[in-house]
Amino acid sequence: MLKVTEAPAYFARYREIIPDFEKFLAHLREPLPLYFRLNELKAPDPEVVLAGLARQGVKAEAVPGFPHFYRVEPRDFPLGNTEEYYLGYIYPMTLSSALPVIALEPKPGEYILDMCAAPGSKTTQIAQVAEDKAVIVANDRRLDRLTALVANLKRLGVACALTTLYRGEVFPFGVPFDKVLVDAPCSGEGRYREGYEGELLYQKEGHTNLPAIQKGLLVRAFDLVKVGGIVVYSTCTFNPEENEMVVDYLLRKRQAEIVPCTYPLPHHPGVTEWEGRPLHPDLQKTARFYPHETQAVGFFVAKIKRLF
Amino acid sequence: MGRRKKIHKEAKWPRVVSLEEREEVLSFWEERFGIPKETFQDYLLLSTAKNYWLFIAPPDLRPLQNLKVQTVGLLFTRRVSRWLKPTSTALQRFGHLATKNVLELSPSELDRLRREKRLPFEAEMEEGYVIIKCEGKVWGCGLYAQGKLISFLP
Ligand SMILES: C[S@@+](CC[C@H](N)C(=O)[O-])C[C@H]1O[C@@H](n2cnc3c(N)ncnc32)[C@H](O)[C@@H]1O
Repeated sequence: MLKVTEAPAYFARYREIIPDFEKFLAHLREPLPLYFRLNELKAPDPEVVLAGLARQGVKAEAVPGFPHFYRVEPRDFPLGNTEEYYLGYIYPMTLSSALPVIALEPKPGEYILDMCAAPGSKTTQIAQVAEDKAVIVANDRRLDRLTALVANLKRLGVACALTTLYRGEVFPFGVPFDKVLVDAPCSGEGRYREGYEGELLYQKEGHTNLPAIQKGLLVRAFDLVKVGGIVVYSTCTFNPEENEMVVDYLLRKRQAEIVPCTYPLPHHPGVTEWEGRPLHPDLQKTARFYPHETQAVGFFVAKIKRLF
Repeated sequence: MGRRKKIHKEAKWPRVVSLEEREEVLSFWEERFGIPKETFQDYLLLSTAKNYWLFIAPPDLRPLQNLKVQTVGLLFTRRVSRWLKPTSTALQRFGHLATKNVLELSPSELDRLRREKRLPFEAEMEEGYVIIKCEGKVWGCGLYAQGKLISFLP
């Protein structure tokens, strides 16, 4: 794992693309605020939930621009041990993790594939936004992670999802998906902070070729969605090789178009050049989110339309 | 918390139940708890062995049936010998719509029920499955019979 003293050297390659780079580095030493999504499928009256949490000393404040999201004080409160969690009224998650589903705009009646779904923060968010009336196929290639996803679907009371265990790259054709979400496995650089327990996957498993996996997943997602349909590609990393270059690859292989999108958090256009290599100019319509500007995990989101 | 059920690698697609069977299950919910059948009109009722699952009715089910699935929908009701029994999972989701056979417990009563699994209990209520509620929150399924309250809470 990366030590905070090693961060400046590790992230130096992004000095030109991360705005206020010194601020970004300083921010890595601060803990992130805690958020949860209130699950209205099970808690039609949010007041019951908020009052219950308040009795335990939790202050929860609605987040402007993010319906159903609340910011929690104190930020180290163990939400996972509460009755409200156990009964499926809340799903703790970082705020930026809500962005891919905001881009996806799920609606009742749509067939939606969540290709890398476990443990289900976004699957359950899709279900909630579509009022439990979209037809969601929640897929993940790992059985242990799928088990956690199934537990979360049950905990949140979701009835509009089925689960499958395919490698996304070979997910079978045949379902006329209106939308596909690819929340891809990535190096997780956007999660990095001091004391964070997770790992920088990219470093730990130096031999896995993440960009190759990501390209395979994105191309398959595109081929699975119907003509005119939407694919959202997201990661929680800064690395252009896992972000813009993956989307660039799709734009060169298929008839796809980037759709501009508005988000309730500050963001920057995707890069159109990396390490001297020019990329498709439309990539500026993708969005980059940085921790020091959003107080949340760093994210990349691309909304893509299938033209043909 | 959250005991995890093992999922089978070779799970089969659950079958869509007949209209009669659907009518039987939904009538049980309506008669026992006063939850109208229309509550579930957007959902299919599927079945595996003794379990009934609720799953959103898609425009067309056939393409989905070609997928190798692990789970489909929400566990809704079980057949226990001759009886139908609502699951706590489903009651937690739909129980707030009930108009009868809801048992409002105090936090200490709920605590005791969860620890001891059965309590001596007297209530003005028909025997059978009940919805256990506490401070506005639905916890799940209990059975009231012969002066006892039995917990089926997860
Ligand atoms: C970033 S996580 C997904 C988080 C999830 N969307 C959420 O919001 O809770 C990436 C997931 O992709 C899965 N994964 C990795 N390789 C995959 C593949 N080839 N096909 C499908 N899923 C894959 C991993 O098991 C992991 O659960």
